[in-house]
Amino acid sequence: MALLGQYLVGGLATGSLYALVALGIVLLYRSSRVLNFAHGDLATFATFVAFTLLTTFRLPFTMATAGSLAVAAVAGAAFYLLILRPTRDATLLGIIVITLGLALVVNGAVVQIWGTETKVFPFPLSDTKVYHLGGVVISQVSIGSFLAGLVLMGLLYLLVQRTRIGLAMRAVSQNLVAAQALGIPAKKIFALTWGLATALGACAGILLAPVTFLDPFMMVDPFLKGFAAAVLGGIDSMPGAVLGGLVLGVAESLFGGYVSVKFKTTMAFLIIIGVLIVRPEGMLGREYKRRV
Amino acid sequence: MKIMGRMLLIGALLTVLTSGSLAQTQERGVTATEVVIGTSQPLSGPAAFWGVPVTGGMDAWIKFINDQGGIHGRKIRLVARDDSYLPPRAVANVRELVDRERVFAIVGLLGSANSFAVRDYLVENQVIWVNPLADANMWAGFKQKKHLFVTFPSYLDEGRILADYAAKSMGVKTMAVFYQNDLYGQKGFLGVKRGAAQAKAKVVASVSYEVTDTDVSGHALKLREANPDAVILYATPRHGALIVREMAKIGFRPKILSSFTLTDPAMFTLAGDAWNDIILTAYFPLPGWGDARVEETLATISRITPALAQNPFNALAGVSFLEPFLEGMRRAGPNLTRESFVTAMESIRNWDGMVVRSISFGPDRHQGLNRIAIVKAENKQFKKLTDWISYPIGF
Repeated sequence: MALLGQYLVGGLATGSLYALVALGIVLLYRSSRVLNFAHGDLATFATFVAFTLLTTFRLPFTMATAGSLAVAAVAGAAFYLLILRPTRDATLLGIIVITLGLALVVNGAVVQIWGTETKVFPFPLSDTKVYHLGGVVISQVSIGSFLAGLVLMGLLYLLVQRTRIGLAMRAVSQNLVAAQALGIPAKKIFALTWGLATALGACAGILLAPVTFLDPFMMVDPFLKGFAAAVLGGIDSMPGAVLGGLVLGVAESLFGGYVSVKFKTTMAFLIIIGVLIVRPEGMLGREYKRRV
Repeated sequence: MKIMGRMLLIGALLTVLTSGSLAQTQERGVTATEVVIGTSQPLSGPAAFWGVPVTGGMDAWIKFINDQGGIHGRKIRLVARDDSYLPPRAVANVRELVDRERVFAIVGLLGSANSFAVRDYLVENQVIWVNPLADANMWAGFKQKKHLFVTFPSYLDEGRILADYAAKSMGVKTMAVFYQNDLYGQKGFLGVKRGAAQAKAKVVASVSYEVTDTDVSGHALKLREANPDAVILYATPRHGALIVREMAKIGFRPKILSSFTLTDPAMFTLAGDAWNDIILTAYFPLPGWGDARVEETLATISRITPALAQNPFNALAGVSFLEPFLEGMRRAGPNLTRESFVTAMESIRNWDGMVVRSISFGPDRHQGLNRIAIVKAENKQFKKLTDWISYPIGF
């Protein structure tokens, strides 16, 4: 029983990080239909910025995080304004390829600036300090990142559903032409969305780094899983992204624990194939209909 | 005048022809002033922790040798390519190095799976290959090894020796293996199984991970479930550090042993105190053992590339992979060809380099090194626990 609890806790902790990554992907997809393959690398970049602020500039953790998120947001918005906006007439596939290119550029920059060696990310919570709850062991950092994940998701929900900016974001995603006709500044809203999504990725990176160490390739696997979680939950649904992340984290953990730890990673992708066959719109996505 | 013109023409033709035939007999990658060698290493990706300092160590040592005038008047030029630890990219790199860069030899090439992937190509093209950084057992029984020289330890024998040491000297009755799901981990795992069987100990669990995995908490739980006396690691530095921390986190503290691939003080930075008391192996005298030549080499390469001081073992390992090649070049003399190089390498007996020691090759022996020692991790140092332990020469 304790073992089952341990697998569930582990699954939820990783699942909440998948959910954060998935949220960033979904946020962008909803507004612009672009799948951003540079999401993971932008997040890695931001995490390294936080690392430098913490170690070289010796800033307190909160300030370093704020600085890193600001850099991420600016980078995301700049990418939209400087590259995607001028190429907005490209096909969707073309734009996706541009994000792939950006992923390579950002990753190369990270390798150039910070090198490839694995680094320890200083974090206020300890990964080795643990609490025992009825036989289940939870580390301080797992609790912290789970709570931080929940708070971030809550804030995002409030922003999108309860503010005028959120309303504008939804309007732009539903009908761009109509939204523009009503005077919504689409360019600013898109730039904001890109900035927000990239900052979300940065949060995921900063929460992940203390657990997995910091290196230029740390987001490769979490990005793939976040992507899988987004597909699982419904690529245009934000609650779906959260649910997808948590379900994927728990499913992976249980599969690893009770079936085969060897095929744990494979299982995530089997789930996606299954979902795409049975329910292509994902768990909470709207049914996919193409207007003729 | 006409005759003069013809004679000039013939003279010119002859010059062209003879120089052409000279060019043909000249060895690929060798000129009067330069030797080009190539390597493919994980300079990015999950094994960059190894690849970067190993390549850095090779590079720094080459600079040092070149600054002294090179060998027989030839400077050495290293062309290093990044393969991200992916076998298909290693294949593409090696083809490029041989076909386009026209290297004389491949030196190093990190990864068992990667080495296995490029093996046939290098053998078919008769490329000199000194030191695939891969399980040496892969070459046992392998016939076409004329151009291949290895001083890299065998994971199979190491695994056997580690299991034997655990059972006989540490009182371990049950052990588990945490290994990378590729040729590196599998060979180590196989070695541990054999060693355990010989020493009448039991392997109660084997848990493998993929190189891309970032979360090993489930793996740690699996290991704890089996409750072995000892866990033996065949992992990347990152996964090794992660699993040790995860096990400590869930209160599971078995004895831990690991391959020499994690014998680097940098592991203390990643794993913290959890890395203390881990039993590992070494195949050359480590810094801190009072070996003057090793300390001198480390000082030299750290002076050339200061960052190497952060990963002293891996940087020195880079030198150790290169040294036998340089010795072959020295012995081959000014007339460096593949033939003269092979003959020179085969003349090496009980040779001591700056880092590697006691290397022997011969016409029937291309495995130059067959010994390791057991060491213990203690406060960023590695204390030697046993004398050198020899294992049978496989090829």
